Amino acid sequence: MRVSIDTDALAFGFPILLHGLVNTILVCCAATFIGFAAGIPVALARLSRWSMMRLPVVAFVELMRDTPFLVQAFIIYFGLAELGIRLDATVAGVLALSLYATANFSESIRGAILSVPKGQFEAARALGIRYFSLIGRIILPQSLGYLVPALTNQIIGIIKDSAALSVITTPEMSMAAQVVVGESFRPVETYAMVAVLYWALTTTVVTLMRQVERAPRRIWRSGERAGVDHRLPIEVSE
Amino acid sequence: MSAEAQALMHGALFTLEASVVGAVFGIMIAVMIALLRQAALAPARWIAAAYVSFIRGTPLFVQILVVYFLLPGVGLDLSPLQSGMVALSLNSGAYISEMIRGALTAIPPGQVEAAQALAIPRRWIWLRIILPQVAVLIVPPLTVELAALIKGSALLSVVGVVELTRSAQQIIAVTFEPLGTWAKVAFLYFLMCFALGQLTRQLQRLKTTGLAV
Repeated sequence: MRVSIDTDALAFGFPILLHGLVNTILVCCAATFIGFAAGIPVALARLSRWSMMRLPVVAFVELMRDTPFLVQAFIIYFGLAELGIRLDATVAGVLALSLYATANFSESIRGAILSVPKGQFEAARALGIRYFSLIGRIILPQSLGYLVPALTNQIIGIIKDSAALSVITTPEMSMAAQVVVGESFRPVETYAMVAVLYWALTTTVVTLMRQVERAPRRIWRSGERAGVDHRLPIEVSE
Repeated sequence: MSAEAQALMHGALFTLEASVVGAVFGIMIAVMIALLRQAALAPARWIAAAYVSFIRGTPLFVQILVVYFLLPGVGLDLSPLQSGMVALSLNSGAYISEMIRGALTAIPPGQVEAAQALAIPRRWIWLRIILPQVAVLIVPPLTVELAALIKGSALLSVVGVVELTRSAQQIIAVTFEPLGTWAKVAFLYFLMCFALGQLTRQLQRLKTTGLAV
């Protein structure tokens, strides 16, 4: 039995892993922003009255949600290469994670939009408010109470799933771990340290998102005191 | 059926088996964790909470690798499949324990109070009143977890377990046709997870119409 912790291996690997952690944060940030930006139109298309809009989006979302992220990454990195589209490992990684994020975020956004009472849509239509103003100024601000906790979970999922990108050699933290193990031959210490760093990252994100979550609630509370419907943030009327 | 199709079907079946086994062990771990979280002893509760937080806060990919490299170091000589199943079970145990926690809060406290008023022993309250209801409430989220396990088990390919993803890699090493093979693999995963998703929807509908519980 060999139970000894090699502190030299920890000291050797730590800076390399920190560099990988920064890359993981960058890749996940990119995927989160792209996923959120693309997720809104995808969610709206899925809620559309026209099946021409709805069906392709439903197919995309269900395919992304019902297949392993690892397989999606393989298709984008190795599958596209067969068609002559050779992507850099980083580009392929960000692309795969962004597509995955888009599908997952769009479902949260769709749920958030559906959480807003139907009367809001009807009232806006009756007042002749344009579609983009309706969505951007009336529906999305009110759905934040539902959306933010759901997105927190999705972002945590993105961070954890990004570890699989090391298999297509995207230079993030798990890939850095492989590099460290290749040099130090201490996989247990290295991967344990990687696990702690991932845990620190996800815990930090959860704590930060809690703060974001609190912000609109403060607005709601002031609304409640004034006897206003709690689902209506006051700032919407401008 | 061609040899390739046969290998893929075999891999898909193996993925399904590994996921079910992972879920079964996961349920056992989850029940222990859920009981620990109810324990009177505070350190027991802390350990359970730390376990759940750590598993839910780290990638399954890293968990699989830690278990794979750690167990031989402490004298347990396990095959890649065995260590992979340990990682998968430990992982799903944490998630399922959270589902049990959710189900426990869904049971009205009035039931326990009524049972206590009737002087029913604590053991019976758990075995006859709480757990049977938890067992029903947990079924729809369990199907969601099983789908997550099917997708998560793809990561077992990294330590050399020949499930669906690994068998696809073996095929590609011979045929050099990644796109077609991965498309087939994605379709097989999709079939399994989509079918489970539909089952989840049906089960949730049953619950809302009051047939369950």
